[in-house]
Amino acid sequence: MSENTNSYPLTLSSYPKAIIHVDCDAFFTSCEAAVKPSLKGKPLITGKERGIVSCASYEAKGVGVKRGMRLFEVEKICPGCVILPSDYETYSLYSQRMFSILRRFTPEVEEYSIDEAFCDLTGLRRVYHCSYEKIALKIKEAIEKELDFTVSVGLSISKSLAKICSKKDKPSGFTCVPGYKLHQFLKEVSLVEVCGFGPNSVALLNKRGVKSVYDFVNKPQEFASKVLGKIGRELYLELKGMAIYEVIKDEVEHKYLSISKTKTFMPPSEERDFVKAHLFRNMESAFIKLRRHKQSVKKITVFLKKQDFSSYGLEAELNRHSSSTMDFTDIVEELFNKIYKEKILYRATGVILSKLANEGHDERTLFDDILKIEKLKSLSRAADRLNNKFGKHTLHLGSTEFLKTRNSSIHPRSNVSERKLELLKGENFRKRLNIPLLRLK
Amino acid sequence: MQLLMLKGDIKDRIEKIRKFYLRNKRMPSYSEAASLFGFRSKNAAYKLIGKLKDLGLVSSDEKGKLLPGDLNNPVKLLGSISAGFPSPAEEELQDTMSLDEYLINNPTSTYLLKVEGDSMIDAGIHPGDLVLVDKSVVPKTGDIVIAQVDDEWTLKYFEKKGRAVYLRPANKKYPLIKPKQELIIGGVVIANVRKYK
Repeated sequence: MSENTNSYPLTLSSYPKAIIHVDCDAFFTSCEAAVKPSLKGKPLITGKERGIVSCASYEAKGVGVKRGMRLFEVEKICPGCVILPSDYETYSLYSQRMFSILRRFTPEVEEYSIDEAFCDLTGLRRVYHCSYEKIALKIKEAIEKELDFTVSVGLSISKSLAKICSKKDKPSGFTCVPGYKLHQFLKEVSLVEVCGFGPNSVALLNKRGVKSVYDFVNKPQEFASKVLGKIGRELYLELKGMAIYEVIKDEVEHKYLSISKTKTFMPPSEERDFVKAHLFRNMESAFIKLRRHKQSVKKITVFLKKQDFSSYGLEAELNRHSSSTMDFTDIVEELFNKIYKEKILYRATGVILSKLANEGHDERTLFDDILKIEKLKSLSRAADRLNNKFGKHTLHLGSTEFLKTRNSSIHPRSNVSERKLELLKGENFRKRLNIPLLRLK
Repeated sequence: MQLLMLKGDIKDRIEKIRKFYLRNKRMPSYSEAASLFGFRSKNAAYKLIGKLKDLGLVSSDEKGKLLPGDLNNPVKLLGSISAGFPSPAEEELQDTMSLDEYLINNPTSTYLLKVEGDSMIDAGIHPGDLVLVDKSVVPKTGDIVIAQVDDEWTLKYFEKKGRAVYLRPANKKYPLIKPKQELIIGGVVIANVRKYK
């Protein structure tokens, strides 16, 4: 190995592995503009219902709008910006479509997030009779044509490298780095661009004299392990062009490590019952999702977010796993009473379920009231059946009744996506057709 | 268990056992089965018969001698089989499609659009109708397209003459559109849905 020799190729091969990372450009606002083309080219943000920017179009980013910014700030720096409530239903439909387009090209697709995917193209040159670059370009073109928004694609020889590539030239970027060009490419990459290097890792590496990714890969491997441990060693190899992380084909049945539900309410509230009702509604939603994925939970975390965005939380653990909402109501009540303070404005509540297990593997202790456990379990099942038939939360915890006291402000019309307001014949507020609806006017 | 594997050879072998049973009024021993199937070893025959046992075609008594099972019922060759009888309905339903599949050719590039205006009424497209638009289809003359002409979106017949493109309404009240500056085709209409109830 020729460490420290300047400009010496890290590898001589072109694509020992061909991995692409596909990243949608400003995904939420791109979906909005795809269904409503008149929004194209305009400064546009989503997140109206939360009071902060969820996603900003490139036109809005151009004048300084950033994710997480509050709406009044946006109005100040970007007058005329179109502010839309989030329409997650439409975003999810587009997301699914993107993944199915990718699966048309290769079965090895990893759904990395709602708008990002990794694909392994290794070996596909023979099928498409062209280079990996051409295949990647075909994929990009197919998505852009069929979905009507741009994506950035990075092609390289490991996942970490592909991800750096896709970020290089946004929006609508297309960056390919074969092995023999890696040493040149890495000179242009700063440490912060590596997914996995946070500000702390970067600072630590800087202290050891490593200023760029190129410096990093020219250190001996032991250096990476010593400074950053196992992850450091893995990233070191990935960046050097050895694919350590595989593209993980998604399992049919997705199992979660944790489930969280948070909802912001506008305007903020200091009403005890109302804030509590929100917390319990989040808890119900989290448990519905838990049971839908046939999992059970042991640990629960609840938190309240104040008007100034600081949040306070507490967690508790049950002595066994459970999937019944009612097993946790008393615990959540107690946690809430501990963190809630009078005369403080709250803007959001949230619940996180962690330490999940597969349903059915619930261990019991000798002193558990098994009859009660089974009763609560069948109660939850009955509630799920009812709610599937008559609509989510038709049957709900009594304490969430307080949501209705201010019902008008939970769903003010302006905070609901247009798709849910302009229903087609036969649709209702709960269920709509699973095809994106274009709005040309 | 996949019964498709049973096609070819194994089907013949079931038939051979069945014929042996009819002729001799008893089931073959393993060595007889081996010679019936053309195997050299009894073990191979044992394994094959194990499979037939799983399928309920043969069984054995407490001494291990073979007994006839469901040999006289010919095996139904379906896509797959679980326990119990496959219902004839399943067999037939493999050749049907949902209304979604019928209406949509390319699921990833097809969108809904609610029709406004009456410019296509003579083509049977009424205001309020729901048309399905495919973005991946290249329009040909005679197709109905959604198009953006000089900043305005519209639904019209697509017509190409030489290098010129026209958009023709299906209503005498509206004029033929000759795009002056820009023409963007947003997709081709592949179906029209009108729900009455």
